[in-house]
Amino acid sequence: MFEIKRDENGTISLHGRLDASQVDAARAVFNQATESCEVDFAELSYISSAGLGLLFGTQKRLVDSGGGLILINLSPHIREIFQIAGFDNIFEIA
Amino acid sequence: MTAISGDFRREIEALGEVFAFLETFVDGQEVDEKTAFCINLVVEELFTNMVRHNEGGGDQITVSIERQDNRVHLELVDTDVEPFDPETVEAPPVDAGIDERRPGGLGIFLVQSMVDDLNYDYEPEGRRMRITVTKTLEN
Repeated sequence: MFEIKRDENGTISLHGRLDASQVDAARAVFNQATESCEVDFAELSYISSAGLGLLFGTQKRLVDSGGGLILINLSPHIREIFQIAGFDNIFEIA
Repeated sequence: MTAISGDFRREIEALGEVFAFLETFVDGQEVDEKTAFCINLVVEELFTNMVRHNEGGGDQITVSIERQDNRVHLELVDTDVEPFDPETVEAPPVDAGIDERRPGGLGIFLVQSMVDDLNYDYEPEGRRMRITVTKTLEN
């Protein structure tokens, strides 16, 4: 089960499990981000390389235009995945 | 020693069934949360790799999992495929900045980083590829 929402402030909230079968649904929302915004991981329990790839592509696009994603409320397991992938060098993780 | 095995459609959309299968094992064996996360990720990465890179393979991919003491052993078997050794995949430059990074290549790297042992073998006669993984329980 995966859900993604974008509120009026532009914050993207992720819920459930972001695996390879759900990444297209997530991509449709991330593609709407055209400037810096927060991504709230508080309700996300799982992410794989498919989700990481989507975040990377979005970050690359936003950085090229002077912006970037700010990732908040990562669980310890997901934070560890980001560290292994070297994504803590690429994203602002609050 | 408790082993379970399942056959799954060669489709990304079959991942939900794969995760349900793994959940049965994790719950039954009272596997800790961190190891469970790892098991899910490892199986997803290897399964999706087989689906995407072994085009023309058999209809199903077999996933087996068993616990022996404080270790979990995973096996994924794909048939009627060309050889593809995941251990030969080049690691991404994880210390590089975003300008030097490229999309992709993370899945197998994550698997290699999170498990104790990753083995690959290929039987040319049956065009059968088998990947086995060992993971020590975190708690």
